[in-house]
Amino acid sequence: MSNERFSRQSFLGEGSQPIFERAVVAVAGLGGGGSHVVQQLAHIGFLNYVIYDLDVVEDSNLNRLIGATEQDAADAMPKIDVARRIITGLRPRARVDAFQCRWQENVGPLHRADLIFGCVDGFSERRELEAFARRSLTPLLDVGMDVHCVGNEPPRMGGQVILSMPGGPCMFCMGFLNERNLAREGERYGAAGGRPQVVWPNAILASTAVGIAVDLLNDWTRSLRGAVYMSYDGNKGTVQPHIRLQYLSEVECPHYPLSLVGDPLTRLSLSAEAEASVR
Amino acid sequence: MTTGIRLTRTLYEHMLGDLRRPHEYAYERVGFVSAKTANISSEHALVLLTEYRPVLDEQYIPDPYSGARINSAAIREAMQRALDTGGGVFHVHMHEGRGKPGFSTMDAEETPRIVAGLRTAAPEAAHGMLLLSGNHCTAWVWLPGAGEPGTPAKVSVVGYPMALLV
Repeated sequence: MSNERFSRQSFLGEGSQPIFERAVVAVAGLGGGGSHVVQQLAHIGFLNYVIYDLDVVEDSNLNRLIGATEQDAADAMPKIDVARRIITGLRPRARVDAFQCRWQENVGPLHRADLIFGCVDGFSERRELEAFARRSLTPLLDVGMDVHCVGNEPPRMGGQVILSMPGGPCMFCMGFLNERNLAREGERYGAAGGRPQVVWPNAILASTAVGIAVDLLNDWTRSLRGAVYMSYDGNKGTVQPHIRLQYLSEVECPHYPLSLVGDPLTRLSLSAEAEASVR
Repeated sequence: MTTGIRLTRTLYEHMLGDLRRPHEYAYERVGFVSAKTANISSEHALVLLTEYRPVLDEQYIPDPYSGARINSAAIREAMQRALDTGGGVFHVHMHEGRGKPGFSTMDAEETPRIVAGLRTAAPEAAHGMLLLSGNHCTAWVWLPGAGEPGTPAKVSVVGYPMALLV
């Protein structure tokens, strides 16, 4: 790869490009948010991907799914293949481990990830992904948006980017997840009908998340030293640190203590594998 | 089959701080860090380092021929920890400086004997030896059932900022 390709981002530091090229990034969910994320990661130069999405492209995705075409919708192309096309179009030698399933159905490859982008729907799935990330000591960047309609008021568009760092405050500590919204979710995530989504807030939130990821990996600002909870107000067009950050405790996250990392089933599955190999 | 090792920045800095403390007569310090596995498959194993315990000052044996020689009590304590928890334990020490450190001949001959004891105490866990420098590391990892140690493809520090030691 010529040095010219990344010359405009050389301010990130001499050692940055090798860091990006070695890091394994996972993206769970390749819809409105995830498709932006993979595109930006490929532009930056990342070479190792683990990506998940069960769905295929539909007409209703084309208002926001980056890289997807009318033909892809007609062909019912899997979203992982759209993402793979974006990545390899920019970085032909990228390794893309792509799985057309929910991430929960094949977690093994997710353990390779140095950083997970959670672009999933709903609170419950966010909780599951964060629990996985905490068990495997993997930072998680959660990206999400929502639209709420109340009475005759204009729709309210909001979203968040949260960096969930093992040991640090989790999405429960930050108040983003709580029993009430988890319980309510059984009904629906958004309040404006079939999960309203548009392209521009996804772009803003994905860009914010990718910027945080780059800083986390190469420390170019030398200022990212704690929890991140960015709150997006789509009606005002602002992204700012959520007010809850001011009230976070310095103590270790009580929901995911570091003493509970690891997978207790690993030893059991190992024993089963060992038995199988003996037979 | 690739192996990755992860530890938090808090743990990493705690280990560096401890291992850099001068000792009355030993040239280097030694510690043991607990390990858990998050995943082991035919393609990838992920080992998580969790809790560091330094070897106590009085558990070093004066030996002009080695950087640090520790007594049987220190080794027994590490073995007991493996036995009690069923988890892995890594022997850790440090060679000051920057760049990739290398195990000395004595490290390569003697530390695997300690690891063998740890593996006997907790055969279903991953054990090993870890050598830190100021910004890098070298490790040998014995996965459960493996005859020979492997070297990790990646050792990651998780925190603000992230860092790859290998």
